Amino acid sequence: MDDYVIEMLHITKEFPGIIANDDITLQLKKGEIHALLGENGAGKSTLMSVLFGLYTPEKGVIKKDGKEVTIKNPNDATDLGIGMVHQHFMLVDIFSVLDNIILGAEPNKFGFLTKKEARKKVLALSDKYNLKVDPDALIEDITVGMQQRVEILKMLYRDNEILIFDEPTAVLTPQEIDELMKIMKNLAAEGKSILFITHKLNEIMEVADRCTILRRGKYIGTVNVDETTKEDLSSMMVGRDVKFAVDKEVAKPGKEILRVENVCVKSKIHQNDSVHNVSFNVREGEIVCIAGIDGNGQTEFIGALTGLDDISSGKISFMGDDITHKSIRYKNTHGMSHVPEDRHKHGLVLDYTLEENMILQRYFEPDFSSHGFIKKKSMREYSDRLTEAFDVRSGRGAQTIVRSMSGGNQQKAIIAREMDRDHKLLVAVQPTRGLDVGAIEYIHKEIVKQRDEGCAILLVSLELEEVMNLSDRILVMHEGEIVGEVDPKTTTLQELGLYMSGAKHDERREAFK
Amino acid sequence: MILLIQYTLIFSAVLILVALGGMFSERSGIINLGLEGIMVFGAMAGAMVMVLLPDTASRFTIVTLTLLAAAVVGMLSSLLIGVACIYFKADQTLIGTAVNMLATAAATVIVKAFNTARSKGSDFSAKLDYVRGHDAFMFNVGSLQLSWFIVVAAILLVVAIVLFYKTKFALRLRACGEHPQAADSVGINVYAMRYAGVLMSGFLAGLGGLIYIAAANSTWHFDYGVAGAGFLALAVMIFGQWKPERIAWSAVLFAVFRSLSNVYMGIGFLSVLKIPGTVYNMFPYIVSLIVLAFTSQKSRAPKAEGIPYDKGSR
Amino acid sequence: MKDNTKFFKKPAVQTILASVLCAILGIILGYIILLCMNPGHATEGMIAILRNFFKYSAKPTQLWYYFGSTLVKAVPVILCSEAILFAYKAGLFNIGVAGQYTIGILVSLYTSLALGWNWFFCLLAAVICGGLWGAICGFFKAYCNVNEVIAGIMLNWISLYLCNIILSNEKTMNITKSETYDIAAKNKAGLLPGFMQSVFGNNQYMTIAVPITVIVAILIWVVLSKTTFGFELKATGHNKDAAKYAGMNAKRNIILTLAISGAVSGLAASLFYLTSIEHYKIASSVPGMGFSGIAVAFLGGLHPIGAIVAGLFVEYITLGGQYLNTNYFNPQVADLMIAIIIYLCGFVLFFKTVINKPGKAKKKDAADEKAAAKKEVK
Repeated sequence: MDDYVIEMLHITKEFPGIIANDDITLQLKKGEIHALLGENGAGKSTLMSVLFGLYTPEKGVIKKDGKEVTIKNPNDATDLGIGMVHQHFMLVDIFSVLDNIILGAEPNKFGFLTKKEARKKVLALSDKYNLKVDPDALIEDITVGMQQRVEILKMLYRDNEILIFDEPTAVLTPQEIDELMKIMKNLAAEGKSILFITHKLNEIMEVADRCTILRRGKYIGTVNVDETTKEDLSSMMVGRDVKFAVDKEVAKPGKEILRVENVCVKSKIHQNDSVHNVSFNVREGEIVCIAGIDGNGQTEFIGALTGLDDISSGKISFMGDDITHKSIRYKNTHGMSHVPEDRHKHGLVLDYTLEENMILQRYFEPDFSSHGFIKKKSMREYSDRLTEAFDVRSGRGAQTIVRSMSGGNQQKAIIAREMDRDHKLLVAVQPTRGLDVGAIEYIHKEIVKQRDEGCAILLVSLELEEVMNLSDRILVMHEGEIVGEVDPKTTTLQELGLYMSGAKHDERREAFK
Repeated sequence: MILLIQYTLIFSAVLILVALGGMFSERSGIINLGLEGIMVFGAMAGAMVMVLLPDTASRFTIVTLTLLAAAVVGMLSSLLIGVACIYFKADQTLIGTAVNMLATAAATVIVKAFNTARSKGSDFSAKLDYVRGHDAFMFNVGSLQLSWFIVVAAILLVVAIVLFYKTKFALRLRACGEHPQAADSVGINVYAMRYAGVLMSGFLAGLGGLIYIAAANSTWHFDYGVAGAGFLALAVMIFGQWKPERIAWSAVLFAVFRSLSNVYMGIGFLSVLKIPGTVYNMFPYIVSLIVLAFTSQKSRAPKAEGIPYDKGSR
Repeated sequence: MKDNTKFFKKPAVQTILASVLCAILGIILGYIILLCMNPGHATEGMIAILRNFFKYSAKPTQLWYYFGSTLVKAVPVILCSEAILFAYKAGLFNIGVAGQYTIGILVSLYTSLALGWNWFFCLLAAVICGGLWGAICGFFKAYCNVNEVIAGIMLNWISLYLCNIILSNEKTMNITKSETYDIAAKNKAGLLPGFMQSVFGNNQYMTIAVPITVIVAILIWVVLSKTTFGFELKATGHNKDAAKYAGMNAKRNIILTLAISGAVSGLAASLFYLTSIEHYKIASSVPGMGFSGIAVAFLGGLHPIGAIVAGLFVEYITLGGQYLNTNYFNPQVADLMIAIIIYLCGFVLFFKTVINKPGKAKKKDAADEKAAAKKEVK
């Protein structure tokens, strides 16, 4: 018998209409790094919610050190020595690093904090595992990488034995990822057991000992990582051989549509520019992609381009028209479409009906209004036409409240709206985030179709595969600057990675005008 | 001038206590617009105790029991806000407003009924007299007449500052107002902490209400409520950026203006100006509005205040 | 049975049910309070409140007269609630309605009594000044990021003191009584024109204020539900980031919304005080009308027409307090009942879930929704 610290045996969790976890077994050995692999919606987070007592499974048992346990709430999990680094950090911005670490397990005398001992313990842990932090810095002032180290220290401070990392690398630079991998190996060597949730194959190959794969709520298998290949893992994850290429012709770029010159955007958080001296152009009939690790200024740049954020210097021309300081309304009505990064925050009014969302930027146009009144009939017809054409599914058709629709259909509704509007430039930010494979393929096809119809497309994506498959030119953004321009046909993932990490810097870019 | 100091001290005491109450509540994540109402409840309870205590009661008994009554009733009435906003996740602005209306109406009804019963049907007013109770709180330092209320307020201020910066409790409370999900993830009971914050605001605002009516007056008409002192305290709290020591300073500032409207007649150069007293009343509000205009861009309000916490949505 | 559940699942039906539930609970609690005060006469008292002016049912003239008075007194509270719900739909909690109402009082009484203007211009001036006062609040919100609730509270007190200073003047006020003069005696042209007074038992306070209120309510309903402006406002109220993304001008809309809200509040004050049914007295606290308006808006399910019904109900109960036998109770019991009802309005959301999913099904569905929401977030 193997020595398992935590076993989740035959876990089944159902929600009406969907089985989120169907007979899933996950066994974690002491001192191993165990990867949990699966696409979005494969059931990884449901399984973790079961482990933390947020959901009660219909079937299945959880064992700790071979003994059956019941976990009713997160505190039970904590008592069993299970700790988690959440995807969205659970840190209080205005507290110091030390306060965040001790929060909930404060050393005290008669209720008064005794931070001295805590500081000693934290510094010792930080030394032992090489987790460099400044205990007195405020969370809002430190880098994302350091915030993650604080999260890890939080678990170590509580002497947790089982550490769960939920997609920990999404927000990190390659160097920080390397460092995290080292830390994880260190922790495992010290006898901690690590569960590593991810969908990035490279990272699994690098650090994990074993890997459990989930697909659409089902348990696919557990493999030893050194006996498998990336290709095997990926086909287990998606259930078929992944087709890496998107069918498309060679681009035939026409005249310049968008020209960006030396654009800078001030950061809201720190002193420096979050976007610095960005210059490039996009022509009709081509897909230009901005690649980069999350948080390197892409969001801010798109904000400045579309008008959501202020631009501090530089110039943006759109079809020869200087639109640097034009309003969002002006850009909307002069041919710029925008599929926003966050569909819930910007893209949709969730409490409006589908039809109302379909005319969100156009309600005042003569097609949909007369004398200040909304033409309900044309709104309905328009919405019906779009939902039909783009296969947007909803419970009550045009009158469905958007909040009740699935994420995929919400995204499709936005895509439909933005693509149908009269436009020459489509700005699409992570248009396929969180969608299933079918929806992704559909959206990719639509984007290529737009390109072939002569539209200029600016794509921002964090998924390297999407970047490589879809784009005709790739611009890499690092720390707010465009550090390189590559041709997807001739470049390699390795080269792209070097640019993204800031290790490679294209001097020619400096001369671009 | 001495009168000005006396009034300033009294108003400062009121504003400090009530604003600190608002601070603890907001730090836990609950916007307490009902401070005004809680003050009324606390004031009423304290006044009734002063009226009801027999003539033979010692000074010490009067002081302790009155303060206790105000604090306890303040806490009870704060539960009106706590239960609605924490358990039922009601709109905090609406509930705060409702509690204010409820307090004035309830105080009027109760005091009138109380008077009617005591006078056997000859007195229908919403007025309470408590000269003896008022006097019990007074002592003199030189020519300056002081009240025990001010001492109590000073002590509570020190306690609040120590509590706020030095204890485990406050660290947890503040976490709940900033990032309740994070607090929950480390095993802190967010609901309990929010109840604690609201109850503290009830305790402090109840006392504040009592001081407001009893420190400078010996009689009070309850159909007036507390005439906006609770809202002024909210302004003090924002002005003090949700920090106890800064709240203390801004309370004094506001109190000076408030006192000027009461005593400007007695101050030579001010009475010459012939500005109606009402203008001084208006002043603190104008000042705080202007100050808010300049400071709100980088306001340090607790991030999660006003948002009901739902355990499921973590 | 199936149709039945469907009927109860309609949002409009639920809103009405929740409001009715609030009102009934409020009345029951009011009855309990009466019981505590005087058990022997509680039932009699409650009947007096509820029966209200119908006690004159034998004398139609008086019945209509008192019905008219109820309508007239409901005018300001209905309009205040329209002002509040209009702003609320745009995501703004206009607690400053009380102050805008006070400015309305100040301007209509000053122009009428001190300047001797015709009613129409008094009304217009009050509407404009109320609107400006609202716009000030909007300006602080839009350009200085001051929370509109806080700014509103400050402006409320400033307006109260302004009103006290300016109206305590020999031209407008009987200083000894510290109460403003009767418009009827001082400036006949300042009185609002009558409306169907003969029907309402020659009630001299029955003026065009009543039909204007209905028209304003309908106008607000039309603006909110049919126009592009309403579309923008509601979009901003639901999700201001999406509204910005869609190219809507958030700053302009904030100021405009609060200005309109303020104008309606100013109108409310004007339509009430220009009937001369009540005189302004120097006050030490802001008129409660604005706050009652909040109550009525919520009780009316935040619907412009619902607000009319809720306003009449609230006024009916408040006036009902005057029918109480003062030997046993005081009329403020009615105010207390209203306050309780408002407090209960905070629970409307909770009531709705209760109506929606009775028993165990409720918990399960809630869990499912959460699960679904969680999935989407991922």
